[in-house]
Amino acid sequence: MNQNDAVMWTEKYRPKTLDEIVNLKDVVESLKAFLRKPATMPHLLFAGRPGTGKTTIALCIAKQLLGVSWRSFALELNASDERGIKMVRERVKTFSRYSRGSLASIPYALVILDECDQMTSSAQTALRRIMETSSHTCRFILICNYSSKIIEPIQSRCAIFRFSTLKQEDVVKHLKYVAEMEHINLHSNAAKTIVEFSEGDLRRAINILQTSAVYEDGKMINEQTILRVVGQASPKQIQLMLNKALSGKLIDARNMLYELMTTYGFSGVDIIRQMHRELFRLQHLSQKEKAELIGVFGEYDFRLSEGANEDIQLSALLAQLTRFSESRGNSANG
Amino acid sequence: MDNLMWVEKYRPKTVAEVIGNEDAKASFTNWLIKKRREKAVLLYGPAGIGKSTLVYAAAHDFKYNVVEMNASDIRTRKAIMKMAAPAVSLSSLDEFSFETKGNLLLLDEVDGIFGQQDRGGVGAIVKIIQNSRIPIILTANNIEIQKLRPLKKICHLIRFRRVRIPLIVAFLRRICQAENIPAEKEALEILAQNSLGDVRSAINDLQTFCESRKILRKDDVQFIPLRNRGFNIYDTLKGMFSANSSVEAMKILNNSLIDYDTLLLSIHDNLPLHYKNPEKLAIAYEALSKADVFRGRIQNEEWRLLKYVFEFLSQSTTIAPGEFQPFNFIFPPTKRYLLMRTSAERTLLKTICTRIGAKCHVSQKTANSEYLPFLKIIFRKKSDQASQLAKWLRLDNSSINYLKKTN
Ligand SMILES: Nc1ncnc2c1ncn2[C@@H]1O[C@H](COP(=O)(O)OP(=O)(O)OP(=O)(O)O)[C@@H](O)[C@H]1O
Ligand SMILES: Nc1ncnc2c1ncn2[C@@H]1O[C@H](COP(=O)(O)OP(=O)(O)O)[C@@H](O)[C@H]1O
Ligand SMILES: [Mg+2]
Ligand SMILES: [Mg+2]
Repeated sequence: MNQNDAVMWTEKYRPKTLDEIVNLKDVVESLKAFLRKPATMPHLLFAGRPGTGKTTIALCIAKQLLGVSWRSFALELNASDERGIKMVRERVKTFSRYSRGSLASIPYALVILDECDQMTSSAQTALRRIMETSSHTCRFILICNYSSKIIEPIQSRCAIFRFSTLKQEDVVKHLKYVAEMEHINLHSNAAKTIVEFSEGDLRRAINILQTSAVYEDGKMINEQTILRVVGQASPKQIQLMLNKALSGKLIDARNMLYELMTTYGFSGVDIIRQMHRELFRLQHLSQKEKAELIGVFGEYDFRLSEGANEDIQLSALLAQLTRFSESRGNSANG
Repeated sequence: MDNLMWVEKYRPKTVAEVIGNEDAKASFTNWLIKKRREKAVLLYGPAGIGKSTLVYAAAHDFKYNVVEMNASDIRTRKAIMKMAAPAVSLSSLDEFSFETKGNLLLLDEVDGIFGQQDRGGVGAIVKIIQNSRIPIILTANNIEIQKLRPLKKICHLIRFRRVRIPLIVAFLRRICQAENIPAEKEALEILAQNSLGDVRSAINDLQTFCESRKILRKDDVQFIPLRNRGFNIYDTLKGMFSANSSVEAMKILNNSLIDYDTLLLSIHDNLPLHYKNPEKLAIAYEALSKADVFRGRIQNEEWRLLKYVFEFLSQSTTIAPGEFQPFNFIFPPTKRYLLMRTSAERTLLKTICTRIGAKCHVSQKTANSEYLPFLKIIFRKKSDQASQLAKWLRLDNSSINYLKKTN
């Protein structure tokens, strides 16, 4: 596949070298240092929020180390699709053992294990041996959202890189760059609104941009366009669920939550993000209440990241929302 | 003698003193003193009915020296070999001793020895049995587990049953006499019945009630802890929700038979049915959420954190003491499946997400949440981009229709 033919803009504008990466100066600098002496490079662990360039950087490294035929010498696996110990034993182990000693131009093979925090702990345990025994034929780049979900023995075998969320102005800049390349009319306010809705997730930002471009079909993309696109992209169900929770009907809200997870296949983190966005469109909340609400969301978001049960945590979050209901606000004022 | 707890103080010293299970006892002593066809015997049955005791009593009667390997020190094949092999060979030295007939190897609680990773353990024991010249005795509560199969094949199996209630009553009476505590017959019967044939627990309960009394009456034992049965899920939920304090709820929790994962989910299921007031429900859910967080942290084997799980669980059910109204508990925990979609739709969705995942370097899940909603908007707009995208992602007509039509 040639990336220039890509039609999804996230792929079309995915950086091909480390130099094109937006932000992340420190990460890129240290990685470049490693790449100057590939033989001594340790296993790598990338941790950070979605759409901040983790997979992109892993692919850049693969291309730089392994050259044009990188696809033959890199195993790219998404642990969210194959989570179990079987994946490690059958695919990773076999691949990592195969020696490439005869190919002088290639230092070692690469295993890119994406979304590693989805791996079961027995799978991770199985992995930890392999990482040691195959270290002269193979390097691992492990990618995750939450490093807390990676067992300690694995963390200790890796150089860890934390990916911070991208700076707002840099996301705006990048969006404007893409818009220019695609010859589309993007109003400044629209770019800012995209940034607001994408929370430092460049993938999401670019997807919103591309969808908005199709939506307006050559016309100017303004703030209204973005609101409409984002509104359409988030299921009505989320709003309904929030309304139920806010009016104290938790059982109904909880049933809708279950439906979102089963019918739409959303993960807990997805749902928190969507709820978060929707809530801030609510008119009746004061500035102070919003601040308080952010704290509540942040806390529950964090609990999810600690490996807690999604059903319980999200239901508990919904239960907290009654404190921010409209009727309550009124009675407190009166 | 007085510094022993009663179960030790009254542990039978001779085979004759061991109550109940006469057939099993005879079968065992026969095996031990006659020519043994099998080199090892496996005594199995529920807890506290005299299996280990019988082994020591028989060793006493027939003058064997017991070498015991206890569940806690055995883990791997290597560890087993290291401990058992000398014991097995040492017998040759002791054979001519007048004092004892030699060693007897007791592998107690073999069903509890092996973790998943210690599979070599059973093999090691089999080998030791095959090469042994001394009697080897194994005990277990449950022999219906796969990994014990090789042992069952080479051992003489002897089943132990719960001890009959009248026998336990008589045994308890003898203890009371020895302790000089007059006891009502009914009191002892209640204790014996409550033990469900577990002699050890009956003795423990007896000691508990006698400790503070000069005389044991029927009324004294009315509030006997349900130690053997424990609370089933309904008792547990009802007890916890109706408790008047978190301390009380905690007591129920400690006596529950339900594992705490099931309990977490069940309390979660039933919480909104119990609390009608949203404010209280919010507080209760906050506590449950914390219980769950600590449950998550235990995953790395930090078992000491379990107490916090229990603490928060007990709090979550007792936010509004005294307000308990009976309701129909939801149980078992709701299992959610992808019910709302037909399986054809699921397959289609999976195909689409796999295609997106392969092209965009994301998981199917991420494809579903981060790409699908936008692709649907794009495809509804019948644009050039849509058809190009369909080609790039190699989507077939049914996938394209799905993206266009569904919301
Ligand atoms: N049949 C019995 N006769 C007399 N006392 C008994 C009998 N069974 C149990 N006990 C009492 O209970 C205590 C524990 O018994 P023992 O260690 O033999 O249990 P076990 O059957 O090996 O149980 P487990 O399966 O839990 O190991 C003994 O010390 C004794 O006080
Ligand atoms: N730091 C970045 N610099 C440039 N583009 C980025 C960066 N982060 C994300 N992107 C864009 O977002 C898309 C998704 O990024 P990716 O690396 O796959 O994110 P993740 O961190 O979730 O693995 C990429 O295709 C790219 O277009
Ligand atoms: Mg990624
Ligand atoms: Mg025992």
